[in-house]
Amino acid sequence: MENASIIQFVNVTKTFADDTIVLDNVSFEIERGKFYTLLGPSGCGKTTILRLIAGFIEPTSGEVYFDGKKINHLPANKRQVNTVFQDYALFPHLNVFENVAFGLRIKREKKSVIEAKVKEALSFVNLSGYENREISEMSGGQRQRVAIARAIVNEPKVILLDEPLSALDLKLRTQMQYELRELQRRLGITFIFVTHDQEEALAMSDEIFVINKGKIQQSGTPIDIYDEPINRFVADFIGESNIVKGKMIEDYLVEFAGKRFTCVDGGITPNEPVEIVIRPEDLEITKKGAGKLEVTVHSKLFRGVHYEMTCRDVEGNDWLVHTTRKVDVGDMIGLDFEPEAIHVMRFDESEEDFDRRMEQYTEEEANG
Amino acid sequence: MDNKFLRNLYMVPYAVWIIVFVIAPILLVLYYSFLDIHGNFSLVNYERFFTSVYLKLTLSSFWYAFLITLISLLVAYPTAYLLTKTKHKHLWLLLIIVPSWINLLLKAYAFIGIFGAYGAANNFLEFIGIGSRQLLFTDFSFVFVAVYIFIPFMILPIFNALNSLNPTLIDAANDLGASRWTTFSKVIFPLTLNGVKTGCQVVFIPALSLFMLTRLIAGNRVITLGTAIEQHFLVTQDWGMGSTIAVFLILIMFLIIRLTGFRKRGA
Ligand SMILES: Nc1ncnc2c1ncn2[C@@H]1O[C@H](COP(=O)(O)OP(=O)(O)OP(=O)(O)O)[C@@H](O)[C@H]1O
Ligand SMILES: [Mg+2]
Repeated sequence: MENASIIQFVNVTKTFADDTIVLDNVSFEIERGKFYTLLGPSGCGKTTILRLIAGFIEPTSGEVYFDGKKINHLPANKRQVNTVFQDYALFPHLNVFENVAFGLRIKREKKSVIEAKVKEALSFVNLSGYENREISEMSGGQRQRVAIARAIVNEPKVILLDEPLSALDLKLRTQMQYELRELQRRLGITFIFVTHDQEEALAMSDEIFVINKGKIQQSGTPIDIYDEPINRFVADFIGESNIVKGKMIEDYLVEFAGKRFTCVDGGITPNEPVEIVIRPEDLEITKKGAGKLEVTVHSKLFRGVHYEMTCRDVEGNDWLVHTTRKVDVGDMIGLDFEPEAIHVMRFDESEEDFDRRMEQYTEEEANG
Repeated sequence: MDNKFLRNLYMVPYAVWIIVFVIAPILLVLYYSFLDIHGNFSLVNYERFFTSVYLKLTLSSFWYAFLITLISLLVAYPTAYLLTKTKHKHLWLLLIIVPSWINLLLKAYAFIGIFGAYGAANNFLEFIGIGSRQLLFTDFSFVFVAVYIFIPFMILPIFNALNSLNPTLIDAANDLGASRWTTFSKVIFPLTLNGVKTGCQVVFIPALSLFMLTRLIAGNRVITLGTAIEQHFLVTQDWGMGSTIAVFLILIMFLIIRLTGFRKRGA
């Protein structure tokens, strides 16, 4: 049976010796051939999830399935998973060729097969001709690519990448993001990529898991997560956002900053207190009086491509605005936005309830 | 200019030390090795060294040093490995190192007591029904005591090498399908080889020239190069021959250091 899911976590909890809960009842499903990203702040449990999948540690409770089989106690060397480690973990006593050939030699492949496969893997990561280099003679970016070659050469079903780009400078990093994504498409293998860089996650993934304090806060496509964050943490962590307090008056009508606005959210009890998210780039600057909100410009920062301004409305809410227009500090301006730019978040809504509500109301919206 | 002068000034004690305690004695030994028993200049000692008596002596000396090093290594490596896995590893290491601070002769005398005809070892053999037997003055007891004495010196460098091994390398080997044994033979051992080499050097070389133990524990049944030198200087008064053996011992040491020399890779 070849079903879509390749890895499944069912109520997985992980605690270490000192009883700190590192993963708290985590459940998710990973499908074949997709690019997944685990995104979250430092210490939230990303590496721990990868280590559970790779088999270096076992869950305290719950089950891990691989290809439909429970693998809680299967040792790491018997799993069809390869890892690109956070610090690469290349063998310093072996040269580039031998590092990449390590897994194949263990499988006792024929010499000619090993040579051909290593060569192919190295050309995959643009390192042809580096076979005889020592690891100490490779740059950080090159080492990272050796680590990737060492993983893909074994043709595993899943590749785990633990912040492999964090040590690189911005330019090389962007280039490697493209290369990795491209590589994943060519190989058609499942990639599980860990990062705490939200831009990286948005740019590369089919699917993102946003994790905080050992819990998956939200999972979905980059666009879903960016446009419809489930709570304040996700909204704040993914991109810059304006989050203000408000009240849901009725379906498609919300009140904040002392005014009522039409929006596209529904399914929330009337008069329930909520939080409103509007992304800075969705705010349009207008002349005073012409927008939906009246604000005063408080500060202005030049960011290269645009100015980043903070403005304050009459209720004291701060609004972050991105603009290329020239506006001066102290000016009174108007802010305009579309109803679609308003995203309403309930307090403490579970991911299932959130998804159900989203589905129902986007359908209704599409139908009528 | 001033700086250079100062730096040279710092070097003075070191240089004096080296000249007085290293270079001068070696030159002296070299000089004596060319004197025969009557104090005349000759090559007779060197001729004698290449006779079967001395070649056999050298060979047996090597054999015992080899045995001692090998057994020390076989005991020390797993011990060091287990030590790195314990919770208070540095405390345990200290406990293993402490006996090496005790004077060698004291330890030798302690073993005379233990291995003696009415010693603890024989009592134990009696107790388990094997019966007492001659332990002292055998090559077994010699090797046993020598291993006991050298083990801390073998454990220390291996422990350091294992301790500084990046643990994710072991995860990486597992991840690539390596079993425990393959991980050991292909990753852990090669990466701690420098520690093993250092350990072998600091055991093998002194083991070649052990001399007190050969008398106290082995009852002169084992004669090492060290014993031969001692005997020539103190008993036969043939300083020339003693020096000649010393010259060869020094040459052998350099050769061993050369052969087990470090490669840069993976340090
Ligand atoms: N062996 C261990 N014993 C005790 N606590 C541990 C152990 N390994 C990890 N932890 C704890 O588990 C938590 C999650 O660690 P994890 O390595 O998964 O974080 P992460 O999300 O990968 O963080 P980073 O982005 O900094 O790499 C941390 O608080 C860490 O201190
Ligand atoms: Mg991590």
